[in-house]
Amino acid sequence: MWNKREDEPVRPPAPQAAPSPVGVAVRREPAAIGPSISIVGDVTGEEDLTILGKVQGKVELPQHSVTVGESGRVDADIRAKIVSVAGEVHGNLLAGEQILIRKTATMLGNLTAPRVGLEDGCRFRGTVDMETPPDKGRPAAPATARAPVPSKPAGPAGQPTDSPGSGVTAKPEGSLTRP
Amino acid sequence: MRWFSGSRTPAEVAPPPGHRSPALKAILDDISPGSRVAVLDLGPPLAGNIKMLSALSCRVRIADLHRSLSAEPVESRRPEAMGALYERLLPLAPDERFDALLAWDTFDYLRPDQVSSLMAWLTPACREEALALVLASTRPQIPTRPLHYRIVDRESLAYDGPSEPVRPCPRYGPHDLARLMPGFSVRRSLLLRSGTQEFLLARRADEGAARGQEAGVAASAPAGRSWFRRGRL
Repeated sequence: MWNKREDEPVRPPAPQAAPSPVGVAVRREPAAIGPSISIVGDVTGEEDLTILGKVQGKVELPQHSVTVGESGRVDADIRAKIVSVAGEVHGNLLAGEQILIRKTATMLGNLTAPRVGLEDGCRFRGTVDMETPPDKGRPAAPATARAPVPSKPAGPAGQPTDSPGSGVTAKPEGSLTRP
Repeated sequence: MRWFSGSRTPAEVAPPPGHRSPALKAILDDISPGSRVAVLDLGPPLAGNIKMLSALSCRVRIADLHRSLSAEPVESRRPEAMGALYERLLPLAPDERFDALLAWDTFDYLRPDQVSSLMAWLTPACREEALALVLASTRPQIPTRPLHYRIVDRESLAYDGPSEPVRPCPRYGPHDLARLMPGFSVRRSLLLRSGTQEFLLARRADEGAARGQEAGVAASAPAGRSWFRRGRL
């Protein structure tokens, strides 16, 4: 303040780098299976997935999260990094990090993850196993009987997801792949 | 100055009812640190209980038996159908074994034949010396559905649920349990101030199971099971 020179040019603040298009692409919305969609077959992918419709088969996204919304109905085993269930799941859940069963959920099957959270009020029958993260190929809770309503075998052709551009793949007897 | 304002809620004034539970302490003390212990909980899924048991490296099987049975039609709950019903509601893998059974007050909501067939189904899946916690009311009437028993710490339980007594209580005593659970023997019992009797039972070695077979209640037990395999998971 005291030594400020009147003739010193005012320097504009350095311009901030514009957000890179790459950063925008990473933050895209999770893929979603809408309420009116049914998939019979396996679902795999490389991004987060929200299930609001019906899935029969197997869901495998080992590096991403799977959310079963309140309207979601899954007759399948789910393997993911994080699994959150607010709808209905008949099958075993295997998560590398965490499983969360919401109070609106109906869950029949076994839960295997380092962290498992169940909200009071949820409907759950099965085994909770918070052992160390399971191996990639290990089936969920091998020593326990399956849930009373096991997942049904894959049937005819699967239905597409309703999120264009997602990295989620449904693999029925035929296959459906999003680019 | 909160005490002066009189704005405390009833929940702050009165903690949930509960009691010290020597049976729970005995079961938790029996779990050695680091061992993989399998616990069968016949009650509903309660987050705190699962968290507590999982922290002790337990594998917890939740049966939510009362809700499951209530959802079944009356004809499937006939005495002769109970074996098949438990087989469907509580399926057991051939190698599945439990080290502890938390029955809470579930038996109070089952007829004697239902308790008998349930234990005929479960006893072969309990390891030798497996411990069981059973709460049985001695009052003439009980609430319409089981209470939720929450593990507060290693020797304390809190409970919540309906409080109005509206249905008759079977009032199972130690002799009833000995008859209905032939594979188990009462190790300890304690009458609580609430009128509930807390039982700690232990799975017998072999004569109890034999008695169960003689009584015909083990007929629905899974076949081909090794009853007396020792060790932890």
